[in-house]
Amino acid sequence: MSNKEYLKDKRLYLIIGTSIYFVILLILLAFKVNIEATLAITFTYLVGLITILIVDYIRKKTFYTDFKNKLDNLDQKYLIVEMLQDPNFLEGKILTDALYEIDKSMIEKINEYKKQTENFREYVELWIHEVKLPVSSLTLMVHNHRDEQNKKLLSQLTRLDNYLEQILYYVRSENAEKDYLITKVNLSKVISNVALKNKDVLLAKGIDFIVSDVDIEVLTDSKWLEFIINQIVDNSIKYSKEKNAFIKIVAKEEKDRIDFAIYDNGIGIPEADLPRIFDKTYTGKNGRTSKKSTGMGLYIVKKLCTKLGHKISVKSKEKEFTCVKISFFKDDYYKVLEKETK
Amino acid sequence: MIKIKIIEDDLSIANELKEILQRSGYLAEVTEDFSNILEQVRKEQPNLILLDINLPKINGELLLQQIRKENNIPIIMVTSKNTEVDEVLSMSYGADDYITKPYNPTILLLRIGAVLKRSERVSDKIFYHNLEVIPQKGIVKQENDEIILTKNEMIIFLYLLQHQGKIVTRDELMTDLWNNDEYINDNALTVNISRLRSKLKEIGYEEAIETRKGQGYILHE
Repeated sequence: MSNKEYLKDKRLYLIIGTSIYFVILLILLAFKVNIEATLAITFTYLVGLITILIVDYIRKKTFYTDFKNKLDNLDQKYLIVEMLQDPNFLEGKILTDALYEIDKSMIEKINEYKKQTENFREYVELWIHEVKLPVSSLTLMVHNHRDEQNKKLLSQLTRLDNYLEQILYYVRSENAEKDYLITKVNLSKVISNVALKNKDVLLAKGIDFIVSDVDIEVLTDSKWLEFIINQIVDNSIKYSKEKNAFIKIVAKEEKDRIDFAIYDNGIGIPEADLPRIFDKTYTGKNGRTSKKSTGMGLYIVKKLCTKLGHKISVKSKEKEFTCVKISFFKDDYYKVLEKETK
Repeated sequence: MIKIKIIEDDLSIANELKEILQRSGYLAEVTEDFSNILEQVRKEQPNLILLDINLPKINGELLLQQIRKENNIPIIMVTSKNTEVDEVLSMSYGADDYITKPYNPTILLLRIGAVLKRSERVSDKIFYHNLEVIPQKGIVKQENDEIILTKNEMIIFLYLLQHQGKIVTRDELMTDLWNNDEYINDNALTVNISRLRSKLKEIGYEEAIETRKGQGYILHE
């Protein structure tokens, strides 16, 4: 609020004030009041008018400057209500009261949606656990009734389970609350689980699975990490070459972190697609041309990594290789907590 | 005979599981009444318990704590709850292992085997006829002769030994190898088996491992 703006806003009062002065002047002239008295009255009137304007200006200027500063500095603008000083003029009071009411109703509305989302999330999780029962039952049945269709049935069941895991972790990654647990996890155990999960398809496709130097502990949530690695290995399998395909997994300890890489000699990712592979529902050339792809896998992977405080990056050359690298930072626990509380 | 109690409310899963366990030579019992499990455990004294978390009337984790208060029967949690918190909690309550559904039954059997072995603390001495097998050293020996097996060959030999006289599929052998972090391919398995055969031949067990075409292998009793 500048002086100019203020005066412009008050121009009606100024016009009225000036008009009244001229009327008073005419009355004084009509009654032939002497010149000294006229000057004294003029002076008093002007001083009075200016004083009123200055007092009003200062009151409003203090309040609105403070208001604007706080609003500019606030990250969450709606919190302004909590920070305002009580205004000592009517419009200010009306404004703050209105803001308070607006905030209150907005927060109520948000809570309503929050609750809805939370209920939905809970139901989806519950539902996934329910669906896993028939899937496990089917898996056991297939194992109990051995015939040549077995492998095909099992591979379809594995696919089904993978899709279920994907939606489960999508729901978890979208959840604002912290529902993971960081502990010391040995990478070899997680990789072993992923390997066993994908054993059949790896053997069937003749993809060599080469693992070295992974007997290292990292700070992570083992279940989340298992999902992350499984998604990456699943991609490597999906986009593998017909002949001499391999997936190499290596870990390396650095001073402040542990680098972990999944390298494959598959069809690679076109350079133009690389920057966007972690985007939601982005499928790229590979996804569009050869295989069914939802574009959700890597998006979820990235989100989970960010939550856990791991850094993930991808290097690739079309028709040659893809290498996904995950960096686990040492003693990163507090950093993760910090990020979460922000 | 080793007795395994299945505490699982999904009857379809429980019955399939029973069949698998019985086929592997265990005595399996399916729990039908969930109101007094503790009492049943006391009476039946199983050698191992497979315990689900989501049960009618009682929570599996709570049940785990109650059983643990009384005895040390090995317990493997088998559940569709797959968060780290659930696993850490169960393990801290005294579970011996934690497996999430759906699982590969061969892996479940391997885990059961491992847990039982740990709890029994059986002597390390394993014999095949007059051969003594020492897995830790990778050695198979008889009176004045011994052969050295690689890690893979030892895993294969031990698996065949545990299932003596029964057909063992290539897939089972493969699962056991992969479960031991040996991610080998089909060719390597064939090579490993033929090496194991020739090594056994060296100490006089030429025809010990028989190939059943399209089915797998048998280690003769």
